[in-house]
Amino acid sequence: MSTPQVLFAYFAVAMTILSLLVVTRRNPVHSVLWMLVLFIHIAALYLFLNAEFIAAIQIIIYAGAILVLFLFVIMLLNLRKEETEKRFQKQWLYSIAISVLFVFFLVLIVGNITVIPPPGPYTADVIKSEGHIMTVGKVLYSEFLLPFEIASLILLVAIIGAVVLAKKRIE
Amino acid sequence: MCIKNSNMSETFVPSDYFPVVIFFIFALLIGFGTLLLGVVLRPKRPYTQKLYPYESGNPPVGEPRYKFSVKFYIIAMLFVVFDVEAVFLYPWAVAYNKLGIFGFAEMMLFVFILLIGYIYVWKKGAFDWE
Amino acid sequence: MVPLSWYIVLSALMFSIGVFGFLSRRNLIIIFISIELMLNSVNISLVAFSHYLQSMRGQILVFFVITVAAAEAAIGLAILIAFYRNNPTIKVDEINLLKG
Repeated sequence: MSTPQVLFAYFAVAMTILSLLVVTRRNPVHSVLWMLVLFIHIAALYLFLNAEFIAAIQIIIYAGAILVLFLFVIMLLNLRKEETEKRFQKQWLYSIAISVLFVFFLVLIVGNITVIPPPGPYTADVIKSEGHIMTVGKVLYSEFLLPFEIASLILLVAIIGAVVLAKKRIE
Repeated sequence: MCIKNSNMSETFVPSDYFPVVIFFIFALLIGFGTLLLGVVLRPKRPYTQKLYPYESGNPPVGEPRYKFSVKFYIIAMLFVVFDVEAVFLYPWAVAYNKLGIFGFAEMMLFVFILLIGYIYVWKKGAFDWE
Repeated sequence: MVPLSWYIVLSALMFSIGVFGFLSRRNLIIIFISIELMLNSVNISLVAFSHYLQSMRGQILVFFVITVAAAEAAIGLAILIAFYRNNPTIKVDEINLLKG
């Protein structure tokens, strides 16, 4: 095995174990902290795919903002009592069966997928000479104009909806 | 910088980030190393009083975890949303010279739509700390 | 070199672990975390395709996925808080007000 393959093997094993830890911990705070370790691994995997800026926003947004939001909600709800109760619903065996079947068929379908040439213009050399953020910016703000403006509407809905739902009524 | 095989251009190792790996290894070594050193060296005489938050203080009453106010959630939520907005600003600022006046206009529209939400939240009083 | 299919299989594995968590846990917060896990596994496959196809589209799509994930987390947790005020439980099998 070559060095990239060994590194990928480490990431694959570590990320699978971390995902299992995330979904099986009893205490939601532990779950969120394992998720943080998982996100750092995912960001490192993005570096191996030549996506530096995606790795950076993975850390900034997911690890820095969304997980903090989850932690705040866990603190807000104060779930001391619930930590001693049983953690799985009664259909947990069926859900294991469903997810095993799911991964079986997914591997069967896409398990030996390859890229058929010719690939696109953005090779590693082009991205390196221009800079990754520059490349992302040029594509995002020319080809993906409408989705970008729709993203602002989604964020607007998030702001207004969350404030309306969470803020207490002002008489 | 990428190391490439001669025939397979997809193999990519981010060797620029090797110092970060060294940094992580040192951070883990120092963190766990000092803890391990403490476990090895310190005398072990445990008793209950040592587990109190303040050894000679009052005995603790009630739950250490108290309920947070929902105001913290609203602030954190606004942080998440405007963090996403700031991430969209980064590539725009880097590619600004290539985009021209059109890029400026589309970003102004984006910021304007989020400004509506900002003004709404302000009028609603989500920033007041009472 | 690492073939593309390895990344896709890793992504499928993480997605199915997220599906397992989503279907089987009782705690609503961990169900939300499972959704984030599934979104992240999809992001991995998008970035892998983007790299191997030498196209930027997958990475741009990751931007929008992250935007939607942030909005979803904000709204979903706000709904959770609003619900918790009226009915202080976050166990999905105890949330059965609409059951006939």
